[in-house]
Amino acid sequence: MKKIKKQSIPELLEKWQKEFAVFVPSKASGVSQMEVWDGQDTAFLNRNRNTAVPPKEKFLPGMEKMFGFRKEEGSYVVEPTDGEPPKQLLFGIHPCDARAIGIIDMVFKDAYDDKYYLSRRENTVLVGMACTSPYDSCFCTSLGFGPADAMDVDIMLIDIGDAFLIEEVTEKGRGILAGAKGVIEATEKDEKEAAAARESANAKVSRKIDTAEISRRLPLVFNDREFWEEVSAKCVSCGICTFLCPTCYCFDINDEMLQDGSGARYRNWDCCSFAIYTRMPAENPREEKWRRVRQKVYHKYLFYPELFNVIACTGCGRCIRQCPVNWDITQTLSNLPAGSPGKAEEKKKAS
Amino acid sequence: MNNSEPKIVAFCCNWCSYAGADLAGTSRMQYPANLRIIRVMCSGRVNPVFVLKALRVGADGVLVLGCHPGDCHYLTGNYRTRRRLSITMKFMEYMGIEPERIQVSWCSASEGSRFAEVVTEVTADLKRISPNRLFND
Amino acid sequence: MTREIEKKLRDAVRELLEKGTIDRIVGYEAGSLKFSTTPLITSNKADVDRLVINPFTHSNLSVFLRDLCGKVGIVAKGCDARSIISLIQDRQIARKDVFVIGAPCGGVIDLAKVEKLTGLDRDEVDDIVWQGEKAAITFAGSTQKFSAKEVLADSCLGCDPSDFKECDMLIGEIEPIVGGKELGQDRIREMEAMAPAQRWEFWKKEFSRCIRCYGCRQVCPACFCDRCFVEETEPRWISPLPKWQDNLIFQVVRMMHVAGRCTNCGECERICPANIPLGSLTKKMEEIVDELFQYRAGTDKDAPPLMAAYQPDELEDLMR
Repeated sequence: MKKIKKQSIPELLEKWQKEFAVFVPSKASGVSQMEVWDGQDTAFLNRNRNTAVPPKEKFLPGMEKMFGFRKEEGSYVVEPTDGEPPKQLLFGIHPCDARAIGIIDMVFKDAYDDKYYLSRRENTVLVGMACTSPYDSCFCTSLGFGPADAMDVDIMLIDIGDAFLIEEVTEKGRGILAGAKGVIEATEKDEKEAAAARESANAKVSRKIDTAEISRRLPLVFNDREFWEEVSAKCVSCGICTFLCPTCYCFDINDEMLQDGSGARYRNWDCCSFAIYTRMPAENPREEKWRRVRQKVYHKYLFYPELFNVIACTGCGRCIRQCPVNWDITQTLSNLPAGSPGKAEEKKKAS
Repeated sequence: MNNSEPKIVAFCCNWCSYAGADLAGTSRMQYPANLRIIRVMCSGRVNPVFVLKALRVGADGVLVLGCHPGDCHYLTGNYRTRRRLSITMKFMEYMGIEPERIQVSWCSASEGSRFAEVVTEVTADLKRISPNRLFND
Repeated sequence: MTREIEKKLRDAVRELLEKGTIDRIVGYEAGSLKFSTTPLITSNKADVDRLVINPFTHSNLSVFLRDLCGKVGIVAKGCDARSIISLIQDRQIARKDVFVIGAPCGGVIDLAKVEKLTGLDRDEVDDIVWQGEKAAITFAGSTQKFSAKEVLADSCLGCDPSDFKECDMLIGEIEPIVGGKELGQDRIREMEAMAPAQRWEFWKKEFSRCIRCYGCRQVCPACFCDRCFVEETEPRWISPLPKWQDNLIFQVVRMMHVAGRCTNCGECERICPANIPLGSLTKKMEEIVDELFQYRAGTDKDAPPLMAAYQPDELEDLMR
């Protein structure tokens, strides 16, 4: 294992800046999110609370131009967006957000390769930072990993006081550390401290859900309208929980036209909480709020696992702490009615 | 003073001001050619979003013209215009838009000369301030 | 003190439900996070003991009224009560269908302000309690006192609780809120001191952060359109893409739509995930409405809605 002193990090970031656009957690814009490192700020080295806006917007921006088009001789000519996306390095990604990126990667290379997402993804290096101060809304430990686990990142840093212990996870990670100044061999004591930090971070996550029980109950309560109406009553159907969810990936596609017939096609975030999301000419299958709330829960905890064998939630807690009315998904999941086994049997037979 | 010719979107009500514009034309009155008229049935049809959309897509100014108070073909349409656009003007000034860009006036079907006068004045106002770059990136 | 008020509220609501005066209650219960409350919407008498009243009852619960059937009892702060009156004026709810339980508040605590004061996130703060006129905040091992102005939501600072009307029942006493009218206007004056071009630049920067989650619209009781103008596609008034230009137009047109309805409850600003200072806009609109029409939203249920009324001779000085 290696380590690096905190004071050597700025120099390392400067080195990386020669090759990458380096992003760090920052509040400079007025909201906490990943921002281009200004060469000065080091606050994030000591206080690594997770950002309000998850880093998914670095792969799936809120608005993205897909291609341009113009009219030519009675037809349209497509003008592809030029070039590769810039190489970027995200410094200080929390394990929950890294895991989330790993989870939505699956959908973007499932039926076909989504070149917009994947090209950004391939040009990105993720430098994770173990989370040492989870929020009271966090519940990552219930989703199969801990706040200090190295998954889906290229290198992982664990705070051991005046230095970070470095875990090299991928080849890419090893590559960016090659020749880096200030990276030294860690001592046994450092590794012990890291293990202690990991353990204490794990202990700080107090919110728990029982995913096994949830997976068992969800198929049984789909038609329990009364339950879903009750839990959805206080939802105001805004887009905060999905837009700020690191694993929500829905997008809409819109053309922006100019008067001469040219224009561009964009995609932008969309949200299943909006009634307009499923509006079609003849009907809207999720006009009622309880159907939309149910959909959100099922997509994350049942449909996604059915498709990709993983729950599309990493317990980052943003949907709980940013919700205008404190609608708490962990409460809903913990209060799922037990359902009647008979119904489950029926469902099994039917399928 | 700027040298470019301002583009003005004018919402004219069908019964008074559009007819006033017609009269100005048929009477061969001179007025600046900066106007793009959009006819609406009543000035009360003008939603603040019309005004903002016009500015968004590049108009330098928006002029809303209706019947004189008391003369509305629909009795009270222009009274509502007056309330709605008064708050629009005040509020957009707070946002930082020059007050010259959003103007409201009244013009009857017989006031061809007044129509020409208002257009001349509004055009002069907009020439005095810089072209609309508010919504440029 | 708070306990006593809560007991009074719970007893009253239980009785209302038992007698059948109301079919359900919309109130606040403790939230799942520190210093949070969450709406409690229930017709079950057993849930009544979960009702709370405290300085963190941020939500304007009147936003739920249009969706609830039967006779609904609602716990309302001063601004919420005015929103209810406004909804009655707009014929969105009927007076007879709502039972207003006035819960006068001394203002809600703005947790964003607390975070700035302490340099910590809300879950790292240990305790916040009122001690007389001061808020005692315990964090990082010690307790510090702050004035009401420092911790109350900006929207509360200019609040005038004296126009608390249409309450069917009052829990507690109406007391003036510490602060005063001018305090609430400070930020407007600051903004107006800037040159117009600077103001535009300011809003351009603020709205470039907007992610178009429509949280502001969804928590707003005055935003009751079944179909919002941003969802219109024929014609499409603004782009659904989160470009700052369209974000700005969305918000200013929303402000105009809620003029005379907005009671400056401050919810849009509080919940904005992009931290856009929307309170500056709602406050200014309140001021414009007052200046031009001497009108205050939600103070007279029998008055016509502001934008549906007129005086034959008004505002002519603003016309060319």
